[in-house]
Amino acid sequence: MGKNNFWSPYIAGVGLGLTLLATFYITGWGLGASSAFSLLTGVGVGRVSPEYAASLEYFTQYLNVEMPLKNWVLFEVAGLFLGAFAASLMSKSFKFKLDRPEHMKLQTRIITSLAGGILIGFASRLARGCTSGVALSGGAQLAIAGWIFVMAMFISGFIFAALFRRLWS
Amino acid sequence: MTAPLIFSQNVGLLFAVILGILFGLFLERGGLGNPHKLTGVFYLTDFTVPKVMFTAILVAASGLYLLSDFGLLDMSRVWIVPTFFWPQLVGGALFGIGFVISGYCPGTAVAGFASGRIDALLTVVGIGAGSLLFAVLYPLVEGFYMSSAMGGATLQKVLGINHWVIIIFLCVFAAVMFYLMERYERRG
Repeated sequence: MGKNNFWSPYIAGVGLGLTLLATFYITGWGLGASSAFSLLTGVGVGRVSPEYAASLEYFTQYLNVEMPLKNWVLFEVAGLFLGAFAASLMSKSFKFKLDRPEHMKLQTRIITSLAGGILIGFASRLARGCTSGVALSGGAQLAIAGWIFVMAMFISGFIFAALFRRLWS
Repeated sequence: MTAPLIFSQNVGLLFAVILGILFGLFLERGGLGNPHKLTGVFYLTDFTVPKVMFTAILVAASGLYLLSDFGLLDMSRVWIVPTFFWPQLVGGALFGIGFVISGYCPGTAVAGFASGRIDALLTVVGIGAGSLLFAVLYPLVEGFYMSSAMGGATLQKVLGINHWVIIIFLCVFAAVMFYLMERYERRG
């Protein structure tokens, strides 16, 4: 149940594209995601140890702001959560689970979820954004950034998946 | 009034939530909160990701440049995603590996968690940890991070051709790709 009731990917793509277009029209910038988590981490480290956070030059961009949590991407990601939550409830596809490939052990899935996330977090900072801020937004602007990110991501993903066939297939 | 429209910070944040809700709705309904569908493209079993992604990019690109060409949107006031060639190439490549390992990217991990997936929440935690790792290692990677800066470089500027040549080329490319994917999926 709830497994195959998704919309056509082309319909979802048109909706997503129009949402991105409306974002450009209203704000003059695109959609984002990864920077919200970098911001939250920076602010979190700042709460635990202000001295240590201040020693991390990369995080000063978040901490030298009067109200760091009044951030556009952070609010947009909060909306993303609400929108996806409402969509999964209304389509009856909401279900608590640790989603994993059929043959993968629970412990292995915990490790792949975390380890993949760490790599994504680091890579998103290096690339100045992720699939939302660089690939979608930059790609739609025809920015070089967006297209090199898309190509590098797909090529490396294909090579890695070919080397580790049993991970998901 | 020429776009982009300008609002106070609070009104801007209200739009952030509204646009985010739409973003989340289309991601989840497109199947992009599901790690099996998200990784399918890399194993040639499910092409949802490139279908949603290329459709979205081309709809937004066509709309953006139509609005600009008709003078309804001032492109000089749009913040173009800055290009840093090598960091974004290496970042994109590392990102692709993290995507296959975890089964998510940042936005889709939020959508996955919002539909009840605890593994997606773990990936979100990992993304925070990876950001901290970057901040800790920043003194070592700063030189590379700042290298090969190209500012707001776009394909049309670098290639010296009209943006519609590029958009039409990308539309034809996507149409051929979608056709092949549909044929492959029906056969498989």
